[in-house]
Amino acid sequence: MDMTHEWYVALSKSFGLFWLLGLSVAITAYAFWPSLGGRFDKAANSILDDEDGPAQPTSTKAEDKACR
Amino acid sequence: MLKTLLKPFARVFEFQAKTHYKMERHSMALTAGIILAAGVGGFVEIAPLFTIDDTVEDVADMRVYTPLEQAGRDIYIREGCYACHSQMIRTLRDEVERYGPYSLAVESKYDHPMLWGSKRTGPDLARVGDKYSDDWQVRHLINPRDLVPQSVMPQYAFLLETPLRTDDLPGRLDALRMVGVPYTDDMIANAANDALGQARPDGDRASGVLDRYGEATAVRAFDGQNDRLTEMDALVAYLQILGNLTDVAQNTQPMAEE
Amino acid sequence: MMSNLTSTERARAMLITGAGVLIGLTMAAVGRNDPMGAHGWIVLLFCGVLFFIVGQKLYDAEPVEDRSVSYYDDPTKIGILLALFWAVVAMGMGVWVASQLAWPDLRFDAAWSSFGRIRPVHTSGVIFGFGGNALIATSFHIMQRTSRARMPDQVSPWFVLLGFNLFCVVAASGYLIGITQSKEYAEPEWYADLWLVIVWVVYFVLYIRTLARRNEPHIYVANWYYLSFILVVAILHVVNNLAIPASFSGAKSYSAFSGVQDAMVQWWYGHNAVAFFLTTGFLGMLYYFLPKRAGRPIYSYRLSILSFWGIVFFYIWVGSHHLHYTALPQWVQTLGVTFSVMLLVPSWASAGNALMTLNGAWHKVRDDATLRFMMVAAVFYGLSTFEGSFMAIRPVNALSHYTDWTVGHVHSGAMGWVAMITFGSIYALTPVLWRRETMYSWKAVEWHFWLALSGTVIYVFAMWNSGITQGLMWRTYTESGTLRFSFVDTLIAMHPYYIARAFGGLLFFTGACICFWNVVMTIRRVPHHTPAIDYPTTSEAMEPAVPAAE
Repeated sequence: MDMTHEWYVALSKSFGLFWLLGLSVAITAYAFWPSLGGRFDKAANSILDDEDGPAQPTSTKAEDKACR
Repeated sequence: MLKTLLKPFARVFEFQAKTHYKMERHSMALTAGIILAAGVGGFVEIAPLFTIDDTVEDVADMRVYTPLEQAGRDIYIREGCYACHSQMIRTLRDEVERYGPYSLAVESKYDHPMLWGSKRTGPDLARVGDKYSDDWQVRHLINPRDLVPQSVMPQYAFLLETPLRTDDLPGRLDALRMVGVPYTDDMIANAANDALGQARPDGDRASGVLDRYGEATAVRAFDGQNDRLTEMDALVAYLQILGNLTDVAQNTQPMAEE
Repeated sequence: MMSNLTSTERARAMLITGAGVLIGLTMAAVGRNDPMGAHGWIVLLFCGVLFFIVGQKLYDAEPVEDRSVSYYDDPTKIGILLALFWAVVAMGMGVWVASQLAWPDLRFDAAWSSFGRIRPVHTSGVIFGFGGNALIATSFHIMQRTSRARMPDQVSPWFVLLGFNLFCVVAASGYLIGITQSKEYAEPEWYADLWLVIVWVVYFVLYIRTLARRNEPHIYVANWYYLSFILVVAILHVVNNLAIPASFSGAKSYSAFSGVQDAMVQWWYGHNAVAFFLTTGFLGMLYYFLPKRAGRPIYSYRLSILSFWGIVFFYIWVGSHHLHYTALPQWVQTLGVTFSVMLLVPSWASAGNALMTLNGAWHKVRDDATLRFMMVAAVFYGLSTFEGSFMAIRPVNALSHYTDWTVGHVHSGAMGWVAMITFGSIYALTPVLWRRETMYSWKAVEWHFWLALSGTVIYVFAMWNSGITQGLMWRTYTESGTLRFSFVDTLIAMHPYYIARAFGGLLFFTGACICFWNVVMTIRRVPHHTPAIDYPTTSEAMEPAVPAAE
C-alpha cells in the first residue's frame, strides 16, 4: 500500500514536469509558427470591422467614435 | 468520463464529419486541448491523495459523530458558521499556543464536507470542545455581546425555540455511510432515539447512546432544558465534541514549550 | 421579443417551461416537509410566469424577418439587464454584510438575516448573478460577431440564459432559508447542481454550433477564452459537487469527499472558479471590447495565444496554496506555490498585452470613461495577479491566510478587474445592441468610473491594513514569551477598517446603481439610430438559421 502511494506521488511529480515542458514547447511552436502569422494578423484586425461584415473588405472607419 | 461527457454531442460530431469537417476540426481541437491542458493537471495533483494510507493517520480511538452531533453539524453548515470560523489549526507556533495542538488529517476523516474554513473573523473552533461550559455556549449563542461586549457575531436566540427535527436523521446517517462513514445498521435504525437520548441524561434512551458511541460520549441536556430537544441542543453538542473525537493530537504533540 | 420566434419555437418554449412547472410541482409536493418544498414553489413560479408569457403570444403572427441577414441579439439584451439587476441586488447585499461586521445590530433578529446566510447571497449574486449573466450575454454577442454568423436557433440561447438565472434564484433563495452545502462558491444543493449541468451542456453545444457556422477560417482568441470558461467550469462543477442526497425528498446532501481530500477538491474548485469563471471569461471580454473600443488591433495576437495556454495550464494546479501549513501533504502545497508563482508570467503577459494595445490611443483613454474602465481593469488584473502569486508563497501565506488580506485580494480582483471590465463592456455594448446613438448620460459614466475606482481603492486599502494588522497581532509575543493579544483585542483593532470597508463598498454599489439607471434611460430616451451595416456574412454554413419547419 505504501508503495502505491509513493509510486503515485513519484509519477505525479515526474509526469507533471514533462507535461509542463511538452505543452510549453508545443504552444510556443504553434504561436510562433511563421506560416500562421498572416492568419493571426488577419484575426486580430477582423474584429475591428466585424459590424460591417466582410462585404466591405477595406472599410474606412471614422477615427473618432468615442461616444458610440 | 470523457466519453459520457461528450455523448450528447454525438450528433454534432456526426454532422461535422459529413459536412463541414475541415473547418470544424478547429473548434473540436480547441475543446480537446483545453480539456487536456486543464484536466490532466488537476488529476495528477488530486489523484494521489486518494491512495492515502500515508496521508491520513491510522487511529483506533477515532469515533463517528452521534446523530445529535451530526444534526448540530448540519445546523453549523446551515447557518454559515464556516464563513467566519476555521476548523484547522496550522502548524505555526502562535496558532498552537492559541488554539491547541495542530490539526491532523485524521480528525476530519468523517467530515463530509470538511469545514476547515478560509477566514477567521472569529477564532478557530477546531478544539473549542469542552473549552467553555454548555451554559456559556448557550448564553453566547443567544446573544454573544452579553458575554463578549466587543463581539460582532450574530445572535442565534431562535435556535433555543426551534425543536430539532429527528425523523430525517436515519436517512442522513445512511447517506453518510454511503460516502464512507462507518455507521452500523444499529446506529442508523436508532438515530432518532439516540438524538433524543443524548440530550436527556435521565431518560431511558440515554444508555443506548453510550452503548453505541462509547462510554465517553457526553450525555447531557446541552441547552439546559430537560423537557425538549431543540436545535440549540444539537449545535452545542457539536461544538463540545470539536477536537474530542480522538485524543491522538494531544497524545502525539504534548504541548511542547517550543 | 416574442414576435421574433416562430410558432414552432414558441411551442417548444412552452413545452420546456411546462416541463419546468411540472418539476417545480413535483419538488413542492415531494419536499413539502423540507425546505426543498419552498424551492419547488419558486421553480413553479419562475417557469409558470414564462409559460404564460409564451402562451399569450402562441398564436401571434409568424415573424417576417430574414434571419440570414441579422444577428440574434434579444437574449444578449435581456442578459445585460439581468446582469445589472443582479449587480444591484448582490452589491447591496455586500454593503449590508459588510455593515454587519461594523455594527452587528444590523443583523436584526430574523433567522435568515444573519451574516452566515446572507454572505453567500452576496458572493454567489456577484459571481454568478452579475458575472455569469454578463459572461453569457457578452459571449452571445462576441461569438456571433467574430464568427460573422447568426446563432443556429432561437430557443437554446433563451434556455441557457433563463435556465442559468433560475439556478441563481434557487441558489440565492436557498441560502436565506438555510439550504447550503457549505462548499464556498459551490453552495447550492444537489438538484440545483444537476440543473446547472443541463444548462451548461446546452450552452456548450450552442457555442460549438455557432462556431461551426462561422465564416472566418480562424476562431478569434476571445472565443478560446469563453470556451475554456465553459468547459473547465463544467469539469470543476461536476467533480466538486459529487454528493449523496440524504433523501430525494429533501435538500440536504453529503459530499462524496471528506477531510483532507475534500479540502483539496474544494480549493481545486475554488481557485479555478477564480481562474475560469472570473478570469478567462472576462479576458475574452477584454480581448474583444478593448481593441474594438480603442480602434486598434490587439498588440500581440501571438502573446494572447501563449498566455491563453499558460493560464489554462498553470491555474489548474494552484488551488493547494489555500491549504498551507494544514494537514495537506507538503508536496502538494509546494506544487501549489510553484505554479502560483509561474502563473504570474501568463497573467502579466495578458495585462501587458492589453495595456500595450492602448499605446497610441491614450488620448481616447483620457476622454472616454468606457475605455478607461477597461484600462483600469487591465491594471487591476496585473496588480491582483501579482498579489495572488505573492500571497501563495508560504511565509507570506502564514501571515495573510484567515485574515482580511485575502478578502481584500479577492475584492481587488472582483471589483477592480471583473466588475470594471464588465461595466466597460456594458457601456460599449449598450448603444450597439439597442441601436442607439450614444449612452444617455456620459457624465453619469464618468461619475460611475470615479465612484467605482475610489470605492475599490478604499476597500482594498482598508482590507490590507486590517488583514496585516490582524495577522501581526495574532503572532505578537510579550517579552516573557506569551501571546500578547487576545482574539478580542484584534477584533477591536478591526473596527475602523470595517467601517471604511463598508463605505468603500457603498461607493461601488452607488456606481452600479447609476450604471443600471443609465442603461435603462439609454433604452428609453435616446433616439434610435440604424447603423449602416451590422449583419452576418451570407452563410455557407450547413445548418440553416431558419428552422426546418419554415
